[in-house]
Amino acid sequence: MRGAVACSVLLGALLACTNNPYPSEDDDRKVLYTTFSEAPRSLDPAVAYDVGAHAITGAVYDTLLEYHYLKRPYTLIPGLALDLPESRPGEADGSTVYRFELRPGVLYQEDPAFTIDGSGRRTRPVLAADVAFQLARLADPTVNSPVIEPFSHVAGFQAFGERLVERRKADPDFAARPVHEQYAELGGIPGVRVEGDHVLEVEVASDYPQILYWFAMQFTTPVPWEAIAYYDGEEGRPRFDDHPVGTGPFVLSHYDKQSRMVLDANPNWYGVQHPEWRAPGAVYPSEGEPEDVAAGRLDPSIAGSPLPFLERIVYLREQEAIPYFNKFLQGYYDAAGVIKESFDRVISQGRLSPAMAGMDISLEKGVEPTVFYLGFNLEDETIGLPAGDDGRRIRQAMSLVIDTEEYTRIFSNSRGVPAQSPLPPGIFGYDENYENPYRRVDLERAQQLMVEAGYPGGVDAETGKPLVLTFDTYDTYDTSSQGLLQFRFFTDAWRKLGIDVQVEATNYNQFQEKVRNGDYQIFMWGWVADYPDPENFLFLLWSEMARSKGGPNTANFSNPRYDELYLSMKSRANGPERLAEIREMLAILETERPWIELVHREDYSLYHGWLDHVKPFGMSFSTSKYLDLDPGVRTARRLEWNRPILWPIWAGLGLGVALIVPGIVTFMRERQ
Amino acid sequence: MLAYAIRRMGYGILVVLGVLFFLFVLFFAVTSPDDVARKALGERVPDSVVEQWKINHGYDKPLFPGPGRWTDNMLVDHYRRMLTFDFGRSDADDTPIMDRITRGAGPSLTLTVPLFLLSLFTGIPLALLVAFFRETYIDRLGVVIAVLAMSVSILLYIIGAQYLIGKLLHWFPISGFDTDPRVIARFLALPILVGVLSGIGGDIRFYRTVFLEESNTDYVRTARAKGCGEARIMSVHVFRNSLIPLLTQVVVAIPFLFTGSLLLESFFGIPGLGAMTVDAIQGNDFSVLRTMVYIGSLLFVVGQVLTDLSYGLVDPRVRFE
Repeated sequence: MRGAVACSVLLGALLACTNNPYPSEDDDRKVLYTTFSEAPRSLDPAVAYDVGAHAITGAVYDTLLEYHYLKRPYTLIPGLALDLPESRPGEADGSTVYRFELRPGVLYQEDPAFTIDGSGRRTRPVLAADVAFQLARLADPTVNSPVIEPFSHVAGFQAFGERLVERRKADPDFAARPVHEQYAELGGIPGVRVEGDHVLEVEVASDYPQILYWFAMQFTTPVPWEAIAYYDGEEGRPRFDDHPVGTGPFVLSHYDKQSRMVLDANPNWYGVQHPEWRAPGAVYPSEGEPEDVAAGRLDPSIAGSPLPFLERIVYLREQEAIPYFNKFLQGYYDAAGVIKESFDRVISQGRLSPAMAGMDISLEKGVEPTVFYLGFNLEDETIGLPAGDDGRRIRQAMSLVIDTEEYTRIFSNSRGVPAQSPLPPGIFGYDENYENPYRRVDLERAQQLMVEAGYPGGVDAETGKPLVLTFDTYDTYDTSSQGLLQFRFFTDAWRKLGIDVQVEATNYNQFQEKVRNGDYQIFMWGWVADYPDPENFLFLLWSEMARSKGGPNTANFSNPRYDELYLSMKSRANGPERLAEIREMLAILETERPWIELVHREDYSLYHGWLDHVKPFGMSFSTSKYLDLDPGVRTARRLEWNRPILWPIWAGLGLGVALIVPGIVTFMRERQ
Repeated sequence: MLAYAIRRMGYGILVVLGVLFFLFVLFFAVTSPDDVARKALGERVPDSVVEQWKINHGYDKPLFPGPGRWTDNMLVDHYRRMLTFDFGRSDADDTPIMDRITRGAGPSLTLTVPLFLLSLFTGIPLALLVAFFRETYIDRLGVVIAVLAMSVSILLYIIGAQYLIGKLLHWFPISGFDTDPRVIARFLALPILVGVLSGIGGDIRFYRTVFLEESNTDYVRTARAKGCGEARIMSVHVFRNSLIPLLTQVVVAIPFLFTGSLLLESFFGIPGLGAMTVDAIQGNDFSVLRTMVYIGSLLFVVGQVLTDLSYGLVDPRVRFE
């Protein structure tokens, strides 16, 4: 009898078994299932600077400005601001004032933090003072924001931070007060002025029109002082790092950063509360690029529809690539990247394989606003500016033997656009027809340049000594087997010129020490743009940003004409004059070769057919409010693709019985 | 017995203090706080942010005691924090480590306790069965299968099970975890199955050897001579007298159920302490690693003492002196 019960329980369990990781109640809901690989470090919008954190902060915090979802090049549109800010000359010489007018009547999400003032309310309207408060937080050294440098263009920004530190040191009572009171007592940042409830003026001291892009990032979102005061990590309350309070289209309803994060649609969002506003950031766009029409992203039936479409977004942590990708193929994730382990199965000749296309999966490629490059230290005596024309010829020769297409084919499955200059596609100044004469492989010309430089066959014609250079690396990846292969690819190429390049691997701080001492010759680096402006790439070679002065110009490139053009281009609006200046700058780089440009990274993403309106977006901007999905189609596909196959259980049981029973019978017979 | 337990715990504390010192030297000699900060913050942040991070994490102090800093140094801080279980914050994501341990212990125990019990309750009966049918083809087949099972890496079990059972047969989710009682069993089924299968070969071999050795002793022969049935001999006499070596293997493992399983949790996406440790290794999160190694050494000491005490419970002849 007991055996029969056990068998029926086992049978029941087997018949009920399923690989569906989600409760069936969610089958009919617009719940997007996606993944993250690393736990966010902080969700404080003043601090969060990693992709995982931005997925959350981008959806929870609205910004004054946003990017148009479909238009390229990337275009700013109003977000919480009524319009793009007006600018006028400031009182100080060369300064500019930007005047933002916020939408009145925008509410924060409901949160217990708003009860801190004893009023009993669970939300309140957004005020211009909340943006000023957040900008003051950026200046506060204890907040430890990584974007202090770009905001130092705001008048009085740095001085405010310094005054704060001094006052806290001198007056412990002041230091013990809530930060919003501290900021208020010091009068806030002089260049940030609150003019009434909904008007904010920001005075930028130096010529830095690019600051507007920072108002499309979560660093400048309005933050209620109540949330900072309430979420202090005391008495069981979480820290503000782990409990965002914003105005965005979603609210964080579950946060276990090691495994699962859930965003739910925010009923207080201004797009939901005030659909009649038809605010640009709250409705689906009606304009875009020609390819958007072909991809169905500009269907007239969705243009102007209120956002967001999704009810919930569930982020699940996936640390291993293969299970993650298999779950995507089973339909349990709506989108996925292409993992290298399955690349050949998924992509065939740069296109989606027939098997994947047969599952109604689509592939979207997007070039990221990045540039990866090999750089020379131009302060070096052998290959730098002190070596004059000979140094330049060596750099040109070394550039002529690096085959970027082969490099991307070997190391990234041909993902990436070979770089001809620092500017990637999608950035003003990028010219798809431009071919850098030093970025094609020409061994003969390279060898001729080595002869002209006085190093025929890589040997110094005067001393007879071979040319030996060092290639300094600084990351753990660099010492991995693939990292070392990558360096070998370059050193093998340079060996064709007779140049012996030694790879010297160190950790980052040792590398920094070498950089400080100027003790390096060749390095590899990359840059991911903060905002879509050529200035954010070309400043990497401005002499004032030289690494020897503490800036990111690790090549220490210095060229007076380049600097002059950079300063002029930086403050111009996009147009023919700016384009002419950029072209001249690129021509200087073409000849001088401070870098050997390698690749602009390319992102391959896969989406199931039930997920709509997907468009890759290179900038740091949450696009989740634009996504939509069809839960009915998804559920049907999941059922079709995941029917349990049970016959192996019965076969296994039968085999076990067939093996064991004769043995038992024989044993018993012998015992008798 | 109490005096013995206290004395053993005393030795254990000395071991733990030594482990703490080695931990400090290893972690701070290998990597400087600047490296840890850069790993946590990224390379683009300015130096001022790195300096502030070091202050926030207490890494701005001198390493060892010296004139004027006998108590205000990292070594003393390290001992004080560990011994008071104030583990501080994670280097990688600033979360309080104690919170992470508290949150991770549940999922770990949800996996390891059933896995431990299932392994025990399948391994011992199977070993008894194989020993019962000793020198028959069932015994030989059992040993061959056990050796084969032992020879295969657990990684192969994991990947194979995820592919075969999760992907092809669609019985259970390939990976994931949810505390929702409606779905939790689905997530645990596969890792538990893999854990049992990967460990059962070794268990059967070990238990079988113990049982066979015991079944050749004089009292067993006497029992047989008196006409006692073979099944009763194995399940009562042999099993009870084999408990000492069994406990040596089993009891010492019990405290480690708390720390979870590194590979199973990591591959199956179970947010337990094992996955947390793997994360810490991959992310150079030294504060979490130091804590987990320290907890591991504490549990080892506790396991050793528990094992010694358990001997007295199963064998009255054992005296604690």
